[in-house]
Amino acid sequence: MDNHNNRHPQPGMQTPHQVALADSDTCFKAEPEISVLVAMERAGQQLIPVGCRGGGCGKCRIRILQGDYFSKRMSRAWVSPEQEAGGTVLACRVYARGDLLIKPDPPEIAVSCHAADQPDQQNNKR
Amino acid sequence: MKKGVMRPGHIQLRVLDMEEALGHYRDLLGLIEVDRDDQGRVYLKGWTEVDKFSVVLREADQPGMDFVGYKVLNSEVLAQLEQALKDYGQDVEQIPAGELKGCGRRVRFDSPTGHMFEIYAEKEQTGKWGVEQVNPEAWPRDLTGMRATRFDHCLLYGPNIEGTAKLFQDVLGFDIAEQVIDDEGKRPALFLTVSQKAHDVAFIECPEPGKLHHASFLLETWEDVLRAADLISMTDTSLDIGPTRHGLTHGKTIYFFDPSGNRSEVFCGGDYHYPDHEPVTWTTDQLGKAIFYHDRALNDRFLTVLT
Ligand code: FES
Ligand SMILES: [Fe+2]
Repeated sequence: MDNHNNRHPQPGMQTPHQVALADSDTCFKAEPEISVLVAMERAGQQLIPVGCRGGGCGKCRIRILQGDYFSKRMSRAWVSPEQEAGGTVLACRVYARGDLLIKPDPPEIAVSCHAADQPDQQNNKR
Repeated sequence: MKKGVMRPGHIQLRVLDMEEALGHYRDLLGLIEVDRDDQGRVYLKGWTEVDKFSVVLREADQPGMDFVGYKVLNSEVLAQLEQALKDYGQDVEQIPAGELKGCGRRVRFDSPTGHMFEIYAEKEQTGKWGVEQVNPEAWPRDLTGMRATRFDHCLLYGPNIEGTAKLFQDVLGFDIAEQVIDDEGKRPALFLTVSQKAHDVAFIECPEPGKLHHASFLLETWEDVLRAADLISMTDTSLDIGPTRHGLTHGKTIYFFDPSGNRSEVFCGGDYHYPDHEPVTWTTDQLGKAIFYHDRALNDRFLTVLT
């Protein structure tokens, strides 16, 4: 049993692509069969916020400035058809098909009111 | 006071891709696929549930929850509660019998938190799946994945949870089983029950209306929760957090995401509630421990990732 949550192979393509961040000298390798977001996680990087990894929560929104990619359906709550046409995507739903140049574009997410006004974690007795 | 609402009966979830979603709900959680309809919706249930279905998946371009429905004792109760909802000032919509296959007429109503709820009295009873009605064996041998036994509850985020909780208490007869209180006496989290369970539905305050935090499914043992964690890794499923224990409800749990980003929980155990019990209270200065009893630290992803 394998529900293939993250897999999406590129036929005939085994070598990883390079994903570079605009305005920074960081980059990571992305296998064509895993999403750009999961590739970043596997590279041990924290360049894009990670949420659901399923195109639902919007946390991982990026803009792809250059390069070819394959994308799966993503929540219209975070990416309109016009935005998608302009390269705004959810990193967990796109798969590199060439080297990419990207820029994080996390949306303002109205968060749980009470996450913010917590006392400093350090003060909690452990 | 009890008003004739029995239990959570069904939840309709929006998914981006039906085949991927079935890989999650049917093959990984181990729910039984029981039917499909001409809108393309797929109906599933946990094997111990006696009614025909409890989970309905609908393909859409925005994940989340369409509605959650509660089953009431009979059609007289349904008519009474329908009137009570109108008198309380809710917008009430009639959904005819058969709109969901095998389900009787439903009364749908809105809520201050922006979620749609339903009550209904009748649903085709197909019995527990895979075991006989009489002299039933312990469990069916051909279950898959996590072998989830039933849809148990959901946790919903929205504004004015006090308003929705009051509606559930005053009109539908739910009790507050557990609550979180801050130092000004405000309650950012409320866990409500209509049974002896620690929660049949839960709410967390959030400015964004109508949000789903998770849909939860019951397992039998802690060993089953660990086995679920193994399956999550084996299938490369997106993990949120766990296996761990909650302070609130004391359930043993693991959280993960469906392929459309809706959060799922499988859990076992936890507190019980009788109508004479005072609500169990956690204070916000201990919120980390209230949510994850072992970590004792707040987890931003758990609190803010919603569909
Ligand atoms: S991580 Fe949730 S949309 Fe990508
Ligand atoms: Fe839960």
